[in-house]
Amino acid sequence: MLGYVLKRLVMLLPVFFAVSVVIFAIIHLIPGDPVDSLLKVGSGPEQRAILTARYGLDRPLPVQYAIWLGNLLTGDMGTAIVGRRPVADLVMAALPHSLALGGLALLFSTIMGIGLGVIAALKRDTWVDQAIMGGVLIGSTLPGFWLGLLLILAFSVHFAWFPVSGARGWSSLVLPVLTIGLGGTALVARVTRVAMIEASGRDFVLLLHAKGLHPLRISLRHVLRHALIPVVTILALRIGWVLGGAVTVEVVFARPGLGTLLIKALNQHDYPVVQACLLMLAMAVMLGTLLGDILQAAMDPRVRAALA
Amino acid sequence: MTALADSPVGRTLRTPKGAIAGGWIVLLILLAVFAPLLTPYEYDVQNLPGAFAPPSAQHWFGTDEFGRDLLTRILYGARTSLSVSAIAIGLSVSAGMVLGAAAGYIGGRFDRIVTSIVDLTWSFPEILVALILVAIIGPGITGTLVAIGVAYLAQFTRLTRAQIMAIKGETFVEAARSLGATDTHILLRHLIPNALAPVLVSAMLATGDAIILEATLGFFGLGAQPPTPSWGGMMSSGTAQLFKAPWIILFPGLAVAITVIAINLFGDALIRALDIRSRMRSA
Amino acid sequence: MTKRFRHAAFAATVSYFALMGTTPAVMAQEAVFVLPLSEVGVPSYNIVTQGNTNLGAYMIYDTLVVQDADQSFHAGLATAWVEAPDGMSWTFEIKPGVTFHNGEPLTAAAIVAWLGFFTDSDNSFTTQSIEKAEATGDLTVKLTMKNPDPNLLFNLASSTMGVIEPKAYVEMGEDYGVTAAVGTGPYKMESFAIGSETVLVRNDDYTWGSDLADNKGPAKIARITLREIAEDSTAFLELKTGGVDMLMSVPTDFLGELAKEPAISTLTLPGLEVVYMPINVTKAPFDDIKVREAAAFAVNQQEILDSVYGGVGAVANQFLISALPESQVDPKYLISYDPARSAALLDEAGWAMGADGIRIKDGAPLAISLWTQSDSSFRRLAEVVQAEMKAVGIAAEITTFDSSTIRDQYKTGEQQLAVRSYWWANADIVDWFFGGDRLGYPNVSMFNDPKAEVLRAAAMTGSKNSEERIANFKAYHEYVLSQFTMAPIYQPVQNIGYNKDRLKMPATIRAPRINGQTILSMEIIE
Repeated sequence: MLGYVLKRLVMLLPVFFAVSVVIFAIIHLIPGDPVDSLLKVGSGPEQRAILTARYGLDRPLPVQYAIWLGNLLTGDMGTAIVGRRPVADLVMAALPHSLALGGLALLFSTIMGIGLGVIAALKRDTWVDQAIMGGVLIGSTLPGFWLGLLLILAFSVHFAWFPVSGARGWSSLVLPVLTIGLGGTALVARVTRVAMIEASGRDFVLLLHAKGLHPLRISLRHVLRHALIPVVTILALRIGWVLGGAVTVEVVFARPGLGTLLIKALNQHDYPVVQACLLMLAMAVMLGTLLGDILQAAMDPRVRAALA
Repeated sequence: MTALADSPVGRTLRTPKGAIAGGWIVLLILLAVFAPLLTPYEYDVQNLPGAFAPPSAQHWFGTDEFGRDLLTRILYGARTSLSVSAIAIGLSVSAGMVLGAAAGYIGGRFDRIVTSIVDLTWSFPEILVALILVAIIGPGITGTLVAIGVAYLAQFTRLTRAQIMAIKGETFVEAARSLGATDTHILLRHLIPNALAPVLVSAMLATGDAIILEATLGFFGLGAQPPTPSWGGMMSSGTAQLFKAPWIILFPGLAVAITVIAINLFGDALIRALDIRSRMRSA
Repeated sequence: MTKRFRHAAFAATVSYFALMGTTPAVMAQEAVFVLPLSEVGVPSYNIVTQGNTNLGAYMIYDTLVVQDADQSFHAGLATAWVEAPDGMSWTFEIKPGVTFHNGEPLTAAAIVAWLGFFTDSDNSFTTQSIEKAEATGDLTVKLTMKNPDPNLLFNLASSTMGVIEPKAYVEMGEDYGVTAAVGTGPYKMESFAIGSETVLVRNDDYTWGSDLADNKGPAKIARITLREIAEDSTAFLELKTGGVDMLMSVPTDFLGELAKEPAISTLTLPGLEVVYMPINVTKAPFDDIKVREAAAFAVNQQEILDSVYGGVGAVANQFLISALPESQVDPKYLISYDPARSAALLDEAGWAMGADGIRIKDGAPLAISLWTQSDSSFRRLAEVVQAEMKAVGIAAEITTFDSSTIRDQYKTGEQQLAVRSYWWANADIVDWFFGGDRLGYPNVSMFNDPKAEVLRAAAMTGSKNSEERIANFKAYHEYVLSQFTMAPIYQPVQNIGYNKDRLKMPATIRAPRINGQTILSMEIIE
């Protein structure tokens, strides 16, 4: 098992390098020069050249990339051009907020999704199933920013239960978590339902039924365990997506986080910050995928056997 | 007529879900096309004293911050939102099918290169890919088109490739080859048509997601530029009026939600009618 | 495995709790203010190099001189000053016992060193009339002038001339103003996140409040967070729901709603801002003065005031706030909506009305770009202007930029029309936005005209006293108006909304705007 994990980690390295090259290259396609915002009023090409040289922006792109990557490996993400402070500080300040939001949203979709999926599967093809699946479908088709705005209107303005924006205290997390979580619930519920139905048709389940075990007990103890394999995989895959996809919700709720940091840096042409944010988000997706594969391997006895 | 009734689309439309969803999509397209005939208002003529009028008999959905009829803007906005999403997905599917089919059929190093390049965009949520691409291309309809197209490229390439891989070993392909058919002929006449159904259905579902993505880019002010209406753009400027005139964001949002739900329901029903559920998941 | 995972998750949660715990929602003696939209995104508290400053600068720094609401000048860090009869020198007496936030004493030498920083800076215009500054005593500074400067006290009272501790300024280099800022003001900078918030803590040593402050110090509120909220509606909702205590600028759209809130009071101060539409005189078709004039007269100031700003404030028909004497130009220079005049001018310039309502000349449509920043209030105004341009046959395409990058975009000189605003209460703003050596930004109009430069030099450096300065600036202002370098649009008033259950304001606001000296006397109601 450990060997498998290590092997998968090693396999991530080339992907990481490829992603880093793409991020670096793409950033330099964005029109606009970060040096512009630093130039004094009325300064000429000489001052521009000096500033460009100071930030190393005058060197050939491959050299810039090599320097960036070299620094990155030592944990140095460079200095924000506009913010003039270490990018690592900015990212580390934003990360806890993103992780809290993403983690809680994922938790919410997991609990809601599995719960609803199980109920829908147990009541398969009844009106309960239809209602649940219809409800989660609606939840997944609402644009996140729109849902967020409606939640603000209802629960911050009308009822004044939660703050409108910002990240002060726990109550400010409720609405953003709900906004992101509702979107993810649909996916988890759908996968859970299908997996439950598929698993309940397996031979061992039929055997348990033949043994005379209580059907509910079979469903919740045995079927669910099997059904969870694809669900967990999907959840792990969602980790990175929840972080990156939170961009709009972070903006709507004016919350600090990787998303707002990225958008702001993108608008300010602050390359080092954009690069760092994208890299963090890409890594989150990669690690999520890896985690999904590993969990799948750990839970699925067939895969485990094949690896042993 | 019988041919249509027996086709998968016909079978889909005979299910209640499919009929309602399909009906809405057709209705919406008709409304968008015939918008100028249906509304007495212009989408871009401002009437500032009449701004922020709540829904009423004159203005069913109220007016926006410039006194423009919201229903009119939603109808015209449907043109932008639907066409941008559909064209973007159309481009994405075409490119994805060519890439995916070539990769799946040729295999080897070419396959690995295509797959790994395409997988790179897979490392980011669509909204991030789109935001970065719009930053490069610039805001507006072109930027949005390309951004959405590229954001979904990976999905179609992977799906097509998987379909081709699955069927290229089948007997009818071998038979065609033994009869001396060229690679292009096999690819165009046998493989792609057989791979088509799942790809087209997933394209339909992706169009729903693309409508949301287009609205989100519009929300960031990056989509169609004023005075051209788009659902996302309308909600973007409505955000500032959230408290004063909530109908400005309410109705375009409902338009997005209902349309995306309809597309999803229709897609689901189509999958059932085509009986391709298992093939949809092979990607 | 599960157990270990749970443990890790728990640890992460706990550390997040700890992190969140440091910022409880509302603490006693702590207040949250929201900066006006025009002050969002200021990248640094290095006020020497910043053309744009925010309220925080007034709180971190003190100025030598302070200005009252009636525009008169009073003692700040300088207790007294004398101008030589010929205006060629000034002597300032510095208040004793004042220390900077880093413990350094405020001395005449520190003032001299600080004044030196302005040379070659973006704000060099504030000190350009000073030939030499010297310390003639421990607490006495003598300024020798190049030319008499009737505007010196105004400059010394302006937000860019808060006194900075020179040693820290030199030591920190480019980081100054971002990671730390050292002044003598009633508040110290604790943290600053660009575009997000500044946390300021009370300077407990502060006892040197200006002549205009009721409370000489220390400040009554222990800790103030200045939040930057780019979206007006969010800021408004925060005030309404008690998330913040004061909005420095309430959009007129929300005044009606705020009036319904029992806990909210609104304070109105005279406006210091002008909203206008610069016209790039170098870009065709606006290199033709007739087309510029036509565009300027197509803007419907009254309609905008009534419909976009709810009738609050006033129309603008020239470039300066109307409280300034230099704004009283000859009526023939005023720019006020006249679509017939626009149409006639465009016809004269050869732009004939086309079938689709857009004018055409030599087969090319009259299509131009209209730039603005992406904040919703500017976007909305730009859309109205776009429709007004369309009404006279000009097709304007709106392009929006982030407020932090639009200045860089102006520096390219590619703009044609733009919608923007400035905040300044002195006629020298004409020099700032139309001076031939600042093309691109701040001179968005790219105006560089020999006659204007002559008038400008007379206004900036050739005035011996206030009367002469007013006359010179009026002449310069009139000439700039006559060249249709911009279209004036709107003069807002300052609407400050605050939670009166939480915040007690000083009885009178003795300043043109809320500043550090006003905040010194504000109290939290327990």
